[in-house]
Amino acid sequence: MIAFLRLAAIGFVGLTLVYWLVSVYSRSLRREALEKRWDEGAGDAGGGDAAGDRDAYIEAGMRAYERGLRRRLIGLVYVVPVVVVVLLIWLNNYS
Amino acid sequence: MKYVKWTLYTLIVLTVFGFLHYVLPQHDIVRITDTDTRRIDFGENSIFWASPDAGTATTPAQVTRDVKFIETIQTNGRPMVYRNEDTGWIWPPYFKFDSYNLQTEASDLRSTSADPRWVVVTHYGWRNEFFTIFPNAVDVRLADGPDERIIPWVNIVILTLLLVAGIMLRRMWLQFRERTLDPVFSNAGDAWEDAGDRAGDARRGARTSWGRFKAWLRSLGG
Repeated sequence: MIAFLRLAAIGFVGLTLVYWLVSVYSRSLRREALEKRWDEGAGDAGGGDAAGDRDAYIEAGMRAYERGLRRRLIGLVYVVPVVVVVLLIWLNNYS
Repeated sequence: MKYVKWTLYTLIVLTVFGFLHYVLPQHDIVRITDTDTRRIDFGENSIFWASPDAGTATTPAQVTRDVKFIETIQTNGRPMVYRNEDTGWIWPPYFKFDSYNLQTEASDLRSTSADPRWVVVTHYGWRNEFFTIFPNAVDVRLADGPDERIIPWVNIVILTLLLVAGIMLRRMWLQFRERTLDPVFSNAGDAWEDAGDRAGDARRGARTSWGRFKAWLRSLGG
């Protein structure tokens, strides 16, 4: 039981690190994509003050990202390893 | 400096290869001659043994324990002895709790040289006579024959995933450097290079972090 709790604790810490790294990376990719999209003329139709609009465009895009499916899918970082462990226990001991 | 560098590379590659070779599953085709249990007093070889059976007492300074063994003869006629221990919730992550069941299956598959029944033993670990260490059997099953061809799917999947993880980590690092480090340190880096010392000369023109690391190594050797 202690061995199991230790694995769970170490696993949680490790997966949290992975989750954090993937979140930062994914957010960074999205922000870069938004910047490029603006620079290629995504906001040209509106005209107006370019610098302020660019920041507003990127912030709106990031808010949409925070609510989006892609960010939620990063939660699979916690789910997949647990499924794999259950599968391994099944394969190695009961089949 | 060149020798230091290549020694370092070789050591890293050998360590990684050795680690994976020890931990990843392998398949042997053997004939089981006997199974039994022996008391083992662990010494300097203790890291090459697993932990006590899952759920049993684990006193801190446990140096003696009964260990199950599977004794076999390989297709080339040489002997191979496996230990059969639970890995439980502990390293390596085979989550093996069924060592007693495995021992029963192995006993059931025993055969003689006159009438051999070939068995595939899945195992990890090494046999080494000088340290008295044994590979840990994970699974036994009847083989099609002594020449059965086994494709190591598990290893293919694991090594592919490791490769993907490595590429992913590298891309994460590059993204982090491009978006976070470079904007902060670009001015500081220029000033450093302009100082005109030998290390600065070596660094100049080295664009990637790998190139910078190599330039730094070169500057040490002079």
